[in-house]
Amino acid sequence: MKLRTALTSVGVMIGTAAIVAMMALSLGLKESAVKSLENFGNLTEMDVEPLRWYEEKGEWIDVPEDKVKKLNMQAVQELKKIPGIQAVMPIKELREQAKLKVGRREGYVQLIGVDVNESAAYRKNDIEKGDYLTGSPQEVVVAFDVSRELRDVEKEKREERRRRTGGGQAGQSTMPPDMGGGESIGFNIVDRAATLILSREYRIDDEPKYEKKELRVRVVGQLKKTEERGSSSAVYVPINVVKELNDWVTRGREEENNEGSTRRTREQAKKDTFEFDRITVKVESREKVEGVVAALKEKGFEVWSPARELETINNFFFVIQMVLGGIAAISLLVATIGIVNTMIMSILERTKEIGIMKVIGATVLNIRWLFLMESGFIGLIGGLAGLGMAWGAVELVNYFGASGGLLDSLNMGYGGGNPEGEPSKLAVIPGWLALFAIGFSFVIGVLAGIFPAIRASRLSALQAIRSE
Amino acid sequence: MVNSTGELTVTGVNHSYGTGKIKVPVLYDINLHINKGEFVALCGSSGSGKSTLLNLLAGLTKPEEGSVTVSGAQISSYSENELCMFRRKNMGFIFQSYNLLPNLTALENVELPLIFAGESKKKRRAKATEILHRVGLEGRIDHRPNELSGGQQQRVSIARALVNQPGIILADEPTGNLDSKTEQEILLLMREMNKENGTTFIIVTHEQEVAEQSDRVIYLQDGRVVQKRTRPA
Repeated sequence: MKLRTALTSVGVMIGTAAIVAMMALSLGLKESAVKSLENFGNLTEMDVEPLRWYEEKGEWIDVPEDKVKKLNMQAVQELKKIPGIQAVMPIKELREQAKLKVGRREGYVQLIGVDVNESAAYRKNDIEKGDYLTGSPQEVVVAFDVSRELRDVEKEKREERRRRTGGGQAGQSTMPPDMGGGESIGFNIVDRAATLILSREYRIDDEPKYEKKELRVRVVGQLKKTEERGSSSAVYVPINVVKELNDWVTRGREEENNEGSTRRTREQAKKDTFEFDRITVKVESREKVEGVVAALKEKGFEVWSPARELETINNFFFVIQMVLGGIAAISLLVATIGIVNTMIMSILERTKEIGIMKVIGATVLNIRWLFLMESGFIGLIGGLAGLGMAWGAVELVNYFGASGGLLDSLNMGYGGGNPEGEPSKLAVIPGWLALFAIGFSFVIGVLAGIFPAIRASRLSALQAIRSE
Repeated sequence: MVNSTGELTVTGVNHSYGTGKIKVPVLYDINLHINKGEFVALCGSSGSGKSTLLNLLAGLTKPEEGSVTVSGAQISSYSENELCMFRRKNMGFIFQSYNLLPNLTALENVELPLIFAGESKKKRRAKATEILHRVGLEGRIDHRPNELSGGQQQRVSIARALVNQPGIILADEPTGNLDSKTEQEILLLMREMNKENGTTFIIVTHEQEVAEQSDRVIYLQDGRVVQKRTRPA
């Protein structure tokens, strides 16, 4: 390779390295911002609720009550049709708190009904101990903190009595563990029989009535610890169980109010107006989240998920990428002009060669192809070298960025990175960027060769062969 | 495209150089017919128009008047690209200064017309090697032109001209840069190829030895054909 050609490739190398390094930096920052966002919850899972108001020209507008979406089976079917949604998991919560009793320990829990068929595939991965629900009404799965919140009430009462009579140790806390009164210690409740206890109060002829219902269940599994506070005391059961228990809880009250109605018409009315409390949708991949959020909003749903922030992050970093990439592209433009110059010089030097080739049968296309490939390869070699240079720069930036704590100060206000997961990087070169850089530098080379190639192919064979 | 038969006909060709008002006439009313397999020498002093006539026969220049028909095809009406393709199939060229590509080996130089013809690498390598053996360069196929003598370079040039098996070979002073011994060798080689393959050879020369070995000698003077001499059988 001639020195002139090598220097032209160095120009392309610098241009490509600048673009790749800049893109890698903005992609790395975006990735760490998204990872920080993931600390607030799984981005591919989002809770869907009906849209009740929306913003238009800076004003908040209420959605008319008759237009507010209902979270019923029709909504579930509608959500399933949205491209990118992998599963739709409707949830129904028990309106009253239930008591869960395992052995001598008991505590109040939030009973959550889930569609076992839809959720099994995804929730199975969240199981820490035991198994997920199979659909049997006697099975429950508990959240991580449930076992820690169950207390041995009888034992506590005995200790309280002992303290009052002066038998207890001085300075011992009188507060229950979950209120800071002591260390909260979990015990294994998986694979143990348990009882769900519900109660209802109602009046008949102004006389208060109190009724209790006990449900024998088996704790089949325990979920992993999660940051979502709302689910800390959750006990998951098949959705039909919650439906029935809700009916039982509300029946007493409705009997107070609607003594004249027949049982059949009431049940029909319930069936027609049955609504879920919320619907969780699982998106196929993080890349499809933005599209799904937009489709949900278009269909009149509101989304409650950190994924809502993805659009803002993507837009912000798109602008950053364009600005950084644009600045770096200037050096590639200069390199492209360098290729054009080198190719024109090469044609001047090789005029006789072009003439010989034309005389022995090279067509216009043959000559153009020859010079286009030559300039394309100058670009390609520069691109490959530039990619290597950018890779080295990215490794250095990541090394010094990690050791200097720069990443921690650049977490975009979304919280720190996940200490258990892969460490965040300040800059990343994804496979597509590497391929794009190589392809782009080759294309740049080919484009730069178009004018010289046309010029070469137009040379007169006779004049070219006579030139020295 | 007409298949090569190796015949050439020049009818009423007039040609001049220059444009506009300043024109220098070089050929006047040229009428020629060369048969397939003939070994013809175009002779004449410098400036007589012999090289211009060769360029017209090759389609490198278009005649101002008249027509050039090669192997039944009137090439004077062809476009540049059509001419390139026609030359590739029907003609081979041998130059005084060999005109080999300096960065390519002897083998690669001979392969070049086959590359443009779209031959596969295996086929073109076999063909080029075979023809280099025939011109006596079996030990030099991987040498670059600057590693070969003048005679060897001209042999490579002959091999390159013949590799596509064209019907016509046009040679412009092929022995002009060679010593008399090598000149004889090259002439012998060309004669051999002419007889073996039935290829038409048209050689521009002002060397008497070349003219003597030709089937026919066409003399040009001041752009006109002044004499056509056929060698007695």
